[in-house]
Amino acid sequence: MTANTPTDRQLQSAAGDQPSGSGPEGAAAGWRSNLADSLSPRNIGAVYVLIVICIVFSIWAPQTFPRPATIKQVLDSNAITALAALALIVPLSARVFDLSFAYVMSLSGVTAAHFVAANNWNVLLAMLAGIVVALIIGVVNGVVVVVMRIDSFIGTLATGSLVQAFISFVTNDNSINSIKLNGSFSTLSQGTILGIAYPVFYALIVATALWLLMEHTATGRRLYATGFNPNAARLADIRVNKLRFCSLLTSAGLAGFAGVMLASSLASGSPSAGTSYLLPAFAAVFVGATVFKHGRFNAWGTIVAVLMLGTGVVGLGLVSAPLWAIDMFTGVVLIAALSANSFERRNLLRGGQGRFRWHPARWRTTGPGA
Amino acid sequence: MGSTPAVADAAAQPRAPGTVLRVTGLSKTFPGTKALDDVTLEVAEGEIHALVGQNGSGKSTLIKVLAGYHHADPGAQAWLNGEPFDVADTADSRHHRLRFVHQDLGLFLELGATDNLALRGEFLLDPLHRIRWRAQAALARELLGQFDLDLDLRRPLAEATPVQRTVVAIAAALVGWEGGPGVLVLDEPTAVLPPHDVTRLLEIVERVRSRGTSILYVSHRLDEVFRLADRVTVLRGGRVVQTRPVAGLTTQTLAELMVGSEVDAGYRAGLTVAPDLPVVLRARDVRGRFLAGVDVDLAEGEVLGVAGLPGSGRNELPYALVGALPGATGRISVDGSEWQPVRKSASFDIPLVPADRAGEAAISEFSVQENLTLSVLRRFRRFGLLSRRSEQHLAGEWARTIEIKAASQDDLITTLSGGNQQKVMMARCLARDPRVLVLCEPTAGVDVGTRQAIYEFIASRARAGLSLMVSSSDTGDLLALCTRVLVMCNGKVTREIAGDEITEHALVHAMEEMEQQ
Repeated sequence: MTANTPTDRQLQSAAGDQPSGSGPEGAAAGWRSNLADSLSPRNIGAVYVLIVICIVFSIWAPQTFPRPATIKQVLDSNAITALAALALIVPLSARVFDLSFAYVMSLSGVTAAHFVAANNWNVLLAMLAGIVVALIIGVVNGVVVVVMRIDSFIGTLATGSLVQAFISFVTNDNSINSIKLNGSFSTLSQGTILGIAYPVFYALIVATALWLLMEHTATGRRLYATGFNPNAARLADIRVNKLRFCSLLTSAGLAGFAGVMLASSLASGSPSAGTSYLLPAFAAVFVGATVFKHGRFNAWGTIVAVLMLGTGVVGLGLVSAPLWAIDMFTGVVLIAALSANSFERRNLLRGGQGRFRWHPARWRTTGPGA
Repeated sequence: MGSTPAVADAAAQPRAPGTVLRVTGLSKTFPGTKALDDVTLEVAEGEIHALVGQNGSGKSTLIKVLAGYHHADPGAQAWLNGEPFDVADTADSRHHRLRFVHQDLGLFLELGATDNLALRGEFLLDPLHRIRWRAQAALARELLGQFDLDLDLRRPLAEATPVQRTVVAIAAALVGWEGGPGVLVLDEPTAVLPPHDVTRLLEIVERVRSRGTSILYVSHRLDEVFRLADRVTVLRGGRVVQTRPVAGLTTQTLAELMVGSEVDAGYRAGLTVAPDLPVVLRARDVRGRFLAGVDVDLAEGEVLGVAGLPGSGRNELPYALVGALPGATGRISVDGSEWQPVRKSASFDIPLVPADRAGEAAISEFSVQENLTLSVLRRFRRFGLLSRRSEQHLAGEWARTIEIKAASQDDLITTLSGGNQQKVMMARCLARDPRVLVLCEPTAGVDVGTRQAIYEFIASRARAGLSLMVSSSDTGDLLALCTRVLVMCNGKVTREIAGDEITEHALVHAMEEMEQQ
């Protein structure tokens, strides 16, 4: 029992050694270095790229680009992309791919438009119906990925394909068009406050909610833990499978909402409207993971990424660039953003003993059983 | 150092004419630890040279330096067949006369033996660069023929038995070797083999040697050393204790050389358990992977050790008890509760500190604080959101209690030393206020100084009434902490050692003895 004494002594000395940072100088220096860290290009690189894009186009198209109308155009034309990208944050954080979300967007849009056009439903009720249908697909995804243990990349690709088949079967690949869709249904997304379309505000609300969820709740922390190291999460008493299931429900529900907004903005239920959002949404969410929170999918980073890519596209339109320039711009920006980040990670990990496991720039999917 | 008499002897010996591999002055420093310290190794032509030592003695580091995975500290010199080669640099392959069979064998289990051998050597191509499968299969048959292997060369190796795979790995390592002097390094080739297959493998090793190839045989199974090796080099704490012929040694003396005086001078918690304390955890007839019916009783304040060789069930028992071993069966009761099947044991909230820190415990993308509080997040809930302040408070308190040395709690966990990471993992589990804590390899990858601090901390918790189970391949852990040790073999508890009877010799003896039966 003699060992008690050294333990106690060491405890005290260690408490004294503990870097407290409570002194006034330490606190000030810490605050300054925190500020420097958070403003460094490594942390908010996409913001700097956005600024550079704005400067370049202001010089290139001084008559058309630096105007309030441009801001409005960027916001309005990217709000639905933002909603779609935000839908992916929760599953990707738990290392689950949801490729079916774009098809779910089409499905919920068609559903809502159908109930308004054919059954004269109240607009909100129709929107709810669209979201409920989307959630049903979310349950199917959960069963396929979590219960049947099929790799999420393949599994949701398959369910997405089934959803598209179902839409085509029901609609015969014809858009649902009706004069009824031009009424309050289109106001859902075409109404404005201060000249800004409603979906911009929806995207801000969803982003705020996701920020709170991922940053400020236990669930968010557990989702990240599940994505980074599922084995460790399981042993730390985290119910990995339940989280993955719920993450697929979340993405389906949010995609359903985005799909209704898309149908409303088109004032029509198009059977393939959502598909064009598949790649832009993934691009934005992956670039977003390099912003603000290193390697973590996060809401505000995603918003910045959507704005950055969207501003470039709008700018290129204003200088009447050829169509291929837009795709090229997106590709170059994606590779630049993700490679800068993965270089930095490698340098960081060279010092530590950590193994490279999970990072958006180096994607590997695994099923929940892996 | 070089002051150990045995090393001095080896250096004083005239260089034997038949020396194939010679390494001198080999050191390897990792941040915070010196894994190898001035190691000298000589392997003679045509000999089987055993390399033994406990976990953490530097065996695997030495192999990795030789294989070119790590680079040695400056000052090391190495010769193979009299030609110098550079060990201070990492390389894909050191020398074509120095071949390796690593513990994980490095085979593609989805592919057949033919493909595996071809991938190591070369594909035989016709002028149109198509693979000549018939010739390729004939070559594979020829390479494996010398080992009398009854194996369908086209079937995936996943379907082969462990010993067949090991033989394929040996053959693959020797592809393109036309016999003659050189060294084949076998790293724990029998670790996962059942006893009757071990004999078979040892015969094959003999056969490889008979072709004039020297073998550096790394093992912790002392009986194999005696059956096979001509000479043995004993490593302890990164240094060579002795290199000597096996003849004249006994299991006892060899075990003593491995253990040495360092452990005996090591820390002892000196815990005692009063006989009348209540039993906290009972488990009956636990079965599953490598487990063939184990009973466990763990009393309050007791530190119960689990010893055994790999494959004995020592690694699996802790996972089975906490409900994390898929397919495990058996009953468990904690604190006098109803009997439950072990797969539902998660409801008892028994935390486990895993052996594989990077793979199963630390979340390397998380900060120290986020790692520490991961299991108790529900405590910080205020209006559904996390209260940063109470999270910081709890993490800070544990960092002080368990003496985590970190510049800031917000630094990534990977910036900490192995010992401090281990403390964070223990704090994560202890923050749950458990009745029982299960530790696997509690000091793996932990430097010597921190090791003692961890022992003292565990002991202080046990005195406070926590019941612990410690599963370890490092007898030092068991000696330092345990009040009772279960020795496992073939999935069963074959011996129980308690109190003062827990000595290094008793443990090593119990494990080896069971192995030989």
